[in-house]
Amino acid sequence: MSEQALSRALSRRSRMAHLKKQLGEGLFHLYGLTGYLFLYLPIIILVIFSFNDSRSTAQWAGFTTHWYADMMNDHQIILSLWNSLFVAIVSTLVSLVIGTLAALAMERYRFWGKLMMDAVLYLPIIIPDIAMAIMLLIFFDVSGIGFQPWKANFFGVHLAVPYSVIIGHVAFNISFVAVVVRARLAQMDQVLEEAAQDLYADPWRTFWRVTFPMLLPGIMGGALLAFTLSMDDFVITFFTSGAGFNTLPVRVFSMIKKGVTPKINAVSSLMLLFSLVLVAISLIIGKGGDENSSANTMF
Amino acid sequence: MSETYAVELRNVVKQFGEVVAVNNVSLRIGEGEFFSMLGPSGCGKTTTLRMIAGLEMPTSGSVMIYGEEQGYLPPYQRPVNTVFQNYALFPHMTVAQNVAFGLEMKKVPKDEIRRRVAEALELVQLTGKEKRRPKQLSGGQKQRVALARALVNRPKVLLLDEPLGALDLKLRKAMQSELKALQERVGITFVYVTHDQEEALVMSDRIAVMNEGNVLQVGTPEEIYETPTSRFVADFIGKTNFLNGEVVEIGDGLAKVVLENGAVVEASVPEGKTFVRGERATVSIRPERVYITPANELPDVRNAKAFSHLPAKLVKFFYVGSERRYVVLVGDTEVVVQAQNVDRSTRRCHTGDEVVLHWDSAQARLLKE
Amino acid sequence: MKKLLTLLRKRPSFQAWLLLLPSAFWLFVFFIAPLFIVLIYSFLERGTYGGVQWHFTLENYRRTFDPLYFKTFGRSFYIAIVTTIATLLIGYPLAYYIASRPAKRRGTLVLALMIPFWTNFLVRTYAWLTLLRTHTGLINVTLMSLGWIQKPLPLFGNDFAIIVGLVYGWLPDMVLPIYAALDRLDHSLLEAASDLYASGPNVFRRIVWPLSLPGVVAGSMLVFIPSLGAFVTPAILGGGKTLMIGNIISNQFLAAHDWPFGSALSFVMMAVMLAATLIYFRATSDEERRQL
Repeated sequence: MSEQALSRALSRRSRMAHLKKQLGEGLFHLYGLTGYLFLYLPIIILVIFSFNDSRSTAQWAGFTTHWYADMMNDHQIILSLWNSLFVAIVSTLVSLVIGTLAALAMERYRFWGKLMMDAVLYLPIIIPDIAMAIMLLIFFDVSGIGFQPWKANFFGVHLAVPYSVIIGHVAFNISFVAVVVRARLAQMDQVLEEAAQDLYADPWRTFWRVTFPMLLPGIMGGALLAFTLSMDDFVITFFTSGAGFNTLPVRVFSMIKKGVTPKINAVSSLMLLFSLVLVAISLIIGKGGDENSSANTMF
Repeated sequence: MSETYAVELRNVVKQFGEVVAVNNVSLRIGEGEFFSMLGPSGCGKTTTLRMIAGLEMPTSGSVMIYGEEQGYLPPYQRPVNTVFQNYALFPHMTVAQNVAFGLEMKKVPKDEIRRRVAEALELVQLTGKEKRRPKQLSGGQKQRVALARALVNRPKVLLLDEPLGALDLKLRKAMQSELKALQERVGITFVYVTHDQEEALVMSDRIAVMNEGNVLQVGTPEEIYETPTSRFVADFIGKTNFLNGEVVEIGDGLAKVVLENGAVVEASVPEGKTFVRGERATVSIRPERVYITPANELPDVRNAKAFSHLPAKLVKFFYVGSERRYVVLVGDTEVVVQAQNVDRSTRRCHTGDEVVLHWDSAQARLLKE
Repeated sequence: MKKLLTLLRKRPSFQAWLLLLPSAFWLFVFFIAPLFIVLIYSFLERGTYGGVQWHFTLENYRRTFDPLYFKTFGRSFYIAIVTTIATLLIGYPLAYYIASRPAKRRGTLVLALMIPFWTNFLVRTYAWLTLLRTHTGLINVTLMSLGWIQKPLPLFGNDFAIIVGLVYGWLPDMVLPIYAALDRLDHSLLEAASDLYASGPNVFRRIVWPLSLPGVVAGSMLVFIPSLGAFVTPAILGGGKTLMIGNIISNQFLAAHDWPFGSALSFVMMAVMLAATLIYFRATSDEERRQL
């Protein structure tokens, strides 16, 4: 083979390789696109049909906001939304404190019984919610704690929220908060706390001046996760609420059981909006993660 | 009453579970001293420093600062400050906030804090960088902030844990002399931990060489280099050659040793160490203390003093600019000889030649094997 | 007080337990204790009107092996396995796709994954209900009006519908850990491998796959366990006909009032999960050893 022919053959081979690579890359893009379509299309269709001027969720019959008005006038739905918010806020606050303390202990100390505590903290995360739900149901029944409601005035709305629901939510949220805060703590160099102590800060002030400001993104992340899990939970609420108490997911479930209507689409779209807001908040927190302002304003 | 030391350790032991990190260490560090703890990683030097700071509690023994037993006093109640290995600057505070932190914790009035922070930043030449965040500083600047943050509290003792470890070579050399000058100016006792023997030699008034949790030798840089009392110290500080043999005669400060190849050399016996005839021992001789001549040349007049002579074979030669480095074989043992390149005289020994090594017997050290 | 502080300094494990006190209290009282109560219940006889009778019995466990329930266990297991494999097959390339994008695009793509991940599971399941329903679902209605099919496809009320719902619900849980593992992968390793004559498939088989295995294991567990214990998905997409073990368990509490049997069922379910987890971990670590 002449030198020219050889170089021609080589350049053909490299062209083929290049073409093959481009083709592969194109197919890969297509795959990625399909993957995201699979994730988003059902949600988008759901939102579209919440504006459908018909009882059908399959055939488009014109635009209306009738279903949203319907939803707003349904005091059952509104009440269940307040219930959801109340349960989520209270259980988030409680689990945030308890979970953060647990994370500090687990990440900053070596002690007897740590392995056991590790297991106890992880179990609520991995155990299926149906198992946890019936465990709590039996427990509240036999212990005599029962399903007593907490009568609360929540922004002027009178709620009756069973303690058992809040206790159950805190029980699974502690673990999630602890995991998120631990992850942040693990990234944080312990030497900073030692430096503070070396500079005459006692443990209390070390925590508030150094550990806490640096931990804040983790705590906020844990709070968001706990709030979302609490807002989303259906199974555990369903089993621990006794009779007649609805959070939004419980209400939606019983509506679905009665039949599909665009009104459910409207409620679902509202819940979707909530999730989007939470994602946006988590993004803002993530951005401020390293540059969070300190409590120190001396200079 | 006994003299008061800035820091005194008495029989300090630290165990982590089964591991003994610091094994019965006793040290006395005088006021205003630049005292270094030198050793390889894991030798217990950092643990010892942390016990002085109160960041670790000794398993047994006692730590005293200016004669006061520290016991279980937490770090924030001890009159010492630390410069940490990777500076440990608070990333969420500015330079000025970092430096002011200790004073705020001690509830110093705000006016005074402002003044002292400015002074401290001036001392480390960082005036004008008050509002910067640690992230916006170079390695050398972070180092200075860490120093200012500690010194601003006017500690009785400043503890430094490999403070120059993260800097590049050139900056490290510059900071070494700067740090030494700073220490002389402020007059505070420095306890300095490093694994860099040159750094320790250059900066310290005294050095404690540590290995495997034990203090092997304490002394001035010169004492440590010139009169090591153990094989480890001789080997860890500077370069040295080891020749193994058997003690055959012990005289006035000098001992005769028969080497494995049958040659007899002399070496000085360290104070406080006793050897007996027939004992196996090691002769340590620094490369720059050995002279090399071709075997067929007569030994020169230096023969008049107590000199040792050792036939060897030259196997490698390196031209290093400021010096000439010879590698010779004595039996199976490699010995390195360094000759200062003081004039441009032609080299008389060549690879493959039979040569003779000479040294002043007082410069060689007899060490336990 | 001072003595107490000194004691705390001397014994750091006391400090740790002080910090753990609230969480340990909450979890032991409201999680571990209920777990043991359920365990005890599973060995008791059912009472006449709900509740229990304090007689020890193994009958509840024997009943879980009755063909009726055993079949449900088998089907749940089958659905969970198929779901896990399907999410892995769909999710791995998707994770790889995200990881191979430029750093800037990656953030957006991961965020785009988070939005469905943060969306209520019930809502996402309901979305599929409106798509899959036999006569009134969007897919069948559309296909029939286009004339592509004469009879509605059997998309609803069967294993298929449940698997689709579960795959959709748990896909982000598979993609995220795999992506995290791939993202950690040092790009120079791939270059080193191709420098050492490894072709594309070989680079994947010998370098990428073994190093992403921890993500695959984590993702598979995150999908398998909730799939096996699924309750909402079969309740909505199973059309009341196809049930999984989660529904049988809930029926014991909501309808049949046989709490001891429900307790026994949930313990058997958890045992199956534990066993599957152990087997899976062992299998994958063997795989890893072979690769090394």
